[in-house]
Amino acid sequence: MNLIDRYVAEVGRHLLLVKGRTDIEKELRSTLEDMLEERAQKTGKPADEAMQVDMLKEYGAPHKVAETYNPNPYLIGPRIFPFFMFILKIVVAAVAFGLTIATAIQIMAASPMSAMELLSTIGKGLLNIVSACIAAFGNIALIFALIERYAPAAEFDIDEKKEWDPASLMKEPEPQEVKVWEPILAIVLTFIALSIFNFNPHLIGFYYLDGNEWQVTPLLSEAFFRWLPLMNIAWVAEIVMNGMLLRSGKWTTSSRFVSIGTKLLQIVILVLLIAGPSILALTTDNLQTAGVTDPEALNILETMANTGMDIVLGLGIFGSIVEIIKIIYKMVTNK
Amino acid sequence: MANTESLENVVLELRRGVIVLAALSQLSTEEYGYSLLKKLADLGLEVDQGTLYPLLRRLEAQGLLESVWKLEEARPRRYYVISAEGKKLLPKMKKEWAGIVSVMDKMLS
Repeated sequence: MNLIDRYVAEVGRHLLLVKGRTDIEKELRSTLEDMLEERAQKTGKPADEAMQVDMLKEYGAPHKVAETYNPNPYLIGPRIFPFFMFILKIVVAAVAFGLTIATAIQIMAASPMSAMELLSTIGKGLLNIVSACIAAFGNIALIFALIERYAPAAEFDIDEKKEWDPASLMKEPEPQEVKVWEPILAIVLTFIALSIFNFNPHLIGFYYLDGNEWQVTPLLSEAFFRWLPLMNIAWVAEIVMNGMLLRSGKWTTSSRFVSIGTKLLQIVILVLLIAGPSILALTTDNLQTAGVTDPEALNILETMANTGMDIVLGLGIFGSIVEIIKIIYKMVTNK
Repeated sequence: MANTESLENVVLELRRGVIVLAALSQLSTEEYGYSLLKKLADLGLEVDQGTLYPLLRRLEAQGLLESVWKLEEARPRRYYVISAEGKKLLPKMKKEWAGIVSVMDKMLS
């Protein structure tokens, strides 16, 4: 194998994905042999290795020569990149959503769990979601790289021939549109709330170290859990509404009505919680168990906690009322 | 130094723009890549191999050139010649070129 052969093979190595590689190699070899012959004639000496070295040096590094034959050096080029991003977002969102629900079901099925078990299940679920999203990204990138390589431009020119209309810049962005992650996040958080309050209520509490062991004092009283069925209805309604948003991608009259209904139910629940006995299980006994012994401190803590909770619940009612007004305003103005 | 580099880049761009026309105009008879390169150089247009060969392939893919492998002096050579479609396009390209030259002459005189 002479230097020209090696040079041509090296250029070919950089052209593995380029169509007509054998042809390019053949033509390159022929050209280099012509050039060498011409040099030999000019100098009046037979072509030797030194002459080949000079000529190849002049011709350029193999990878640079190969680059000139590859006008489209992208894995996924600008022609199909927007379509790639569109598909990627949908698939990754669907994978993340599906696995989140699977994790939530797993938590519900295995309940009651200890805090460590719950954390470990959530951790494993998150790892699963991350690895599944990476795998989905890899597979989609591979498919699009193959399309980029083998689909002729004429058969796959998405929107390339469509005339661009500057009027599209004048169109106001639709405020009714919903970002995909918003309902997904809301559904995930609501599922977590459902699973914790219904199946692992013992996890909600004050954690303190007793010797070497963590102890938990319940934070919420019976008065809170009495209204749990009503809260479950509100949470399920929340999931249904976010499911509707996810499906339609924008606010519709029906999803707005469901949203108003959910908010009204939330207000009813919050009013019931304020009006009834304290929802905090901060009894003197509990606080003493947790290590608070000073009677005055006990009294202040209990009052502060209950007043604070009433303020929080009141703010919740206020927030829900504001939300309802906003929804009605949007329905009326159709924004 | 920066000025020389800028000038070189501009000249390179200008040449790149005319190579298609130059190559098509010289391929009314069959030429292989290296012979075309020399022909253009003899006429005063130095073109880099790395520019000419991929360009010939591209023009062939666009249907403006045809090519055929021939065995000469125990060496296979790929001969290019302008296609029927290329022949139809060439006069239009020449007219465009004449228009550009005329406009630029006016601007630069």
